[in-house]
Amino acid sequence: MKKTINIPLGSQHISLLEPVRFKFECENEKIISVDSDVGFVHRGIERACTTKFKFDAIGYVVARVCGLCAITHSLSYTAAVEKLLGGEITKKAKYLRILLLELDRIHSHMLCLSHTCENAGFEAMFMRIMGDRELVMEIQELLTGNRVQFDYINIGGVNRDINSEVAKKIIENLYEVKQRVLGYMDEFTNNWSLSLKFKGIGALSLDDAYSFNAIGPLARASGLNIDVRNEIDYLPFNEIGFKMQTQFEGDINARNIVRLNEIFNSILMCENIVNGLPEGEIFTKLKGKPNGEAIVRFEAPRGELMYYVKGNGSAMLERVRIKTPTFACIPAFTHIFVGENYADAPAILASFDPCLSCTAK
Amino acid sequence: MFDLKKYRKKSPWILHYNAGSCNGCDIEILASLAPKYDLERFGVINTGNPKQSDIFLVTGPVTYRSRERLVELYTQMPEPKVVIAVGSCTCTGGVFRDMYNVEDGIDRYIPVDVYIAGCAVSPELIIDGVVKALEILEKKSKEMEKALKLFKEATSENGVINRRNVALKVGEVHEEN
Ligand code: SF4
Repeated sequence: MKKTINIPLGSQHISLLEPVRFKFECENEKIISVDSDVGFVHRGIERACTTKFKFDAIGYVVARVCGLCAITHSLSYTAAVEKLLGGEITKKAKYLRILLLELDRIHSHMLCLSHTCENAGFEAMFMRIMGDRELVMEIQELLTGNRVQFDYINIGGVNRDINSEVAKKIIENLYEVKQRVLGYMDEFTNNWSLSLKFKGIGALSLDDAYSFNAIGPLARASGLNIDVRNEIDYLPFNEIGFKMQTQFEGDINARNIVRLNEIFNSILMCENIVNGLPEGEIFTKLKGKPNGEAIVRFEAPRGELMYYVKGNGSAMLERVRIKTPTFACIPAFTHIFVGENYADAPAILASFDPCLSCTAK
Repeated sequence: MFDLKKYRKKSPWILHYNAGSCNGCDIEILASLAPKYDLERFGVINTGNPKQSDIFLVTGPVTYRSRERLVELYTQMPEPKVVIAVGSCTCTGGVFRDMYNVEDGIDRYIPVDVYIAGCAVSPELIIDGVVKALEILEKKSKEMEKALKLFKEATSENGVINRRNVALKVGEVHEEN
């Protein structure tokens, strides 16, 4: 007789923001194998980039691959095209780009933390973090004019300048966010009931992280030193105080702590940028059409994002390839689930911070 | 007695489904449920169960693989129900219009009552839309009860229920209501 039962999670489920289906094979409470299906939201954006849109509009189209890391997508695409066009953008534009990239990271990490708490059954913490997240959303709206899809970056620079009022507000709000995040740090490390749900659950060892090719906060929580911000040089991350954050346990708690530390680091970077913003123009006009191939990597909130762009000297591109962080992490996800209790599955899933819109494009 | 009509309006439950959106509108729905905008002050609560919900919030332009799920969820919801299309891409296809794997907008598959435009929609607009949906929900419940009001109360004499002459004429229906 068959001893195991199959439990599906998804494609529509209260603990999921997006459609993904996991099929868990369980023996009593323990999960013994997992099958995942991620293609529910495939829209065909890569194809449309080469047939429907001209190259200067694609920066705004690829932002719609994912609403959470929209800015990283348009930034990677524009950086690739700028490489092909061969122009240099001003230092101020570079700084403003990093500013928005880091603000995006802060709000994305806060969303992930709150979602993990909600799926672990801690509704109050979810509400608290979501409430505080509005402070960051407020700054983004002031800076760019929209809360989620900014459309801030264009080829050659950025679309809006920052003025002293906005700068003042950014510093104020970030200070406030920092105080709140210190509070969460306390909660996440010392709260007993959260520790029952998070400590020692869903662990990924360093060797496994390495062999399953994990990236982003998932890998950094296991002690793997990978962060693209450390490796690239066309945005000056090291100049403004970037520091790699790692932990060693690899469980849900470690992932949360990595995210909290990254929020602190991002706040520091944003403050440095606003205080030491160079003078100059925010936009340089770049001439010509993209010709040739370029590869660009950036660190999205969930890990490394890679863009490959190939142009042939006309307004239409030949190929746009997007490799997204969640896609690379799926083998690690399925490995982590094995051997855990089914009751913990939603919390573990939320702690990966999966982004299926990215994955399926 | 437990008055379903009254409570349905005061506490509509919403079901949220992502039919291929970019997440932008989904996180705005979450944000509008969170403390700053606080949609829950209208009694709204986010459920995962179609059988208990009254309002269906859909985001995304309907990809080929989410069609069946969308229609399935819609049919499982009990009447009366209201569908809200959240976001430009849900209303018309938006940026995703004419891409090879999407249908342009959810109204090709299910009837939509409220359209909310914007890419991404702001939480204020979502609140507006839900409040509008509540009005429509009330109207729809009235509509459903119309059939019952074609009768008048049966009379009872000495414990015998007399159902003769309970049917009303067309003119009388309006007077009664
Ligand atoms: S309307 Fe825009 S922001 Fe909203 S889901 Fe569609 S593409 Fe994303």
